[in-house]
Amino acid sequence: MDDIDRLEKEILVLRETLRRKEKEIFEIKKEFMPKLPSKVEKEIVNQNECAKNVVKISEKLPKWAIERYSRQILLPEIGVKGQEKLMGAKVLVVGAGGLGCPAAVYLAGAGVGEIGIVDYDQVDLTNIHRQILHSEADQNVSKAQSAADSLRSINSKIKLTPYNIELNPSNALEISANYDVILDCTDNVPTRYMLNDVSVLNKMPLISGSALKMEGQLTIYGYRAKTNQNDKGYKYIGPCYRCVFPTPPPPEAVGSCSADGVAGPIPGVIGTLQALETIKLIVGQTHDNLLVGRLLLFDGEDMSFRNVKLRPRNPECEICSESPKITKLLNYEVVCRMQSKEKDLDLDILPPKNRITAMKLAEALKATNKHLLVDVRSEHEFEMCKLDGAVNYPLEKLHRSNIDLLLKDIRDCCCRVTFICRRGNDSQIAVKRVLDVIEDEYKDKITDLTGGLHAWSKYVDGEFPVY
Amino acid sequence: TMEPLKVHIQFGGGAELLFDKIKRREVELPALKKYYPDCKHEKWLIKDLLVWIKDNLLKERPELFLQGDSVRPGILVLINDADWELYGELDYELQQNDTIMFISTLHGG
Repeated sequence: MDDIDRLEKEILVLRETLRRKEKEIFEIKKEFMPKLPSKVEKEIVNQNECAKNVVKISEKLPKWAIERYSRQILLPEIGVKGQEKLMGAKVLVVGAGGLGCPAAVYLAGAGVGEIGIVDYDQVDLTNIHRQILHSEADQNVSKAQSAADSLRSINSKIKLTPYNIELNPSNALEISANYDVILDCTDNVPTRYMLNDVSVLNKMPLISGSALKMEGQLTIYGYRAKTNQNDKGYKYIGPCYRCVFPTPPPPEAVGSCSADGVAGPIPGVIGTLQALETIKLIVGQTHDNLLVGRLLLFDGEDMSFRNVKLRPRNPECEICSESPKITKLLNYEVVCRMQSKEKDLDLDILPPKNRITAMKLAEALKATNKHLLVDVRSEHEFEMCKLDGAVNYPLEKLHRSNIDLLLKDIRDCCCRVTFICRRGNDSQIAVKRVLDVIEDEYKDKITDLTGGLHAWSKYVDGEFPVY
Repeated sequence: TMEPLKVHIQFGGGAELLFDKIKRREVELPALKKYYPDCKHEKWLIKDLLVWIKDNLLKERPELFLQGDSVRPGILVLINDADWELYGELDYELQQNDTIMFISTLHGG
């Protein structure tokens, strides 16, 4: 075991050295890289070149680029012109998770000139089944950094900018203004509304993907024909997120990958298609060929892809209409009544006498085997791992009719009753529901396990899986 | 026209969880007047269908599907693969063999 520990430590140090050296060599190489003019610089460069009467570099790809990107240049849809555009394009990927990783892989591979990648989170082992830019060795490393490092090993010729920060109303407009397109690869409602507003205010298209369980959805919001010289519908503007969903959903109707699960290839498919739409958009495909005003629904359960028609832009939309009510970014967590980081959710809705710590519960369980343990997680989670002797009453089914059985169990129990869930939030909700309806005489014996099974694993039994 | 109206009802994006996790259903609606004798109009509109769904298919937590007389925010209603807003939303008149989808928007990534 000592050998394993020692070697693992050595490998970590070597990886860090490798990371540093790769960065170093990239910085040196950058000096010699043929500089491709960005959109803004292009005109000036062309003028200068005309004056000097030299070959227009911007209209000819260098040898290395023709060779490297030949397989996609061969496509009439991309071609030399398209490749030039790709190499001059700047794309901001928000979220280096299940969607952002595959999306960024293909954008980097395609030679998109500049990719910014934003994520405030660190790599966790539970991410790796879907977040394909991160490996075991990247655990606890910033996702933005880890993603940028992997992308650099895929393509050393492009500029990568990791943003190890949380995109918020005070920095989002400024950061995104440096880019041409935004990819929404985030995992929560407030950030989705914010990115939509950023996209409208900065007049940038938003390629929006989402995935959960076995399903994914994809569309482009805020498309403007004006910025695409191939698009004849000069004045056409596609709907924005608020045109289609003017009001955020109720918080209790919103799922998440960590609570509901997700099959790795689902965000893989959607993220990959986000990259494809981004590439098509950059090379100048017109809006009838893009997922504009249309929504792709992917259901991995029966392998169905469905393309549905969305409503057009709302002339009265709060943000993208001619006379918008919203003219600057808002506090989206307040607007949506939801937090953007679900990990921070830390309910505290019970009186102290109805709570018990993991240590205290362990002592109580040692003293008696009559203690009733009520696990309120889903049947699936209960099957994954549970405390010995616990009974399962999933919170989602704990309503009017079903609660009676549980109340009977509690009344019949001659000992204490403890509610358990994963993190200690749902168990409080369940206890609250029970306390609201049960007779006073039983109230004092009911508790919830503070911090849930995560706390149990941390303070009592390290063998209990944390998921 | 007393023949029952056949419609395909589909749920997705998590909306199916409120309906026994069944994503696709085929239902036959009786003559509207038979079902709602007090109803002022003759033909089934989507708003009548929403009430029918609430009475016949929705088991628990109607607030996660309906809000007022419409669907809750975050559920997209599609009539034959097109946003219901293109067809008059609640007042759309159901046709034989229509497919009505209720898709909850996803936010994960």
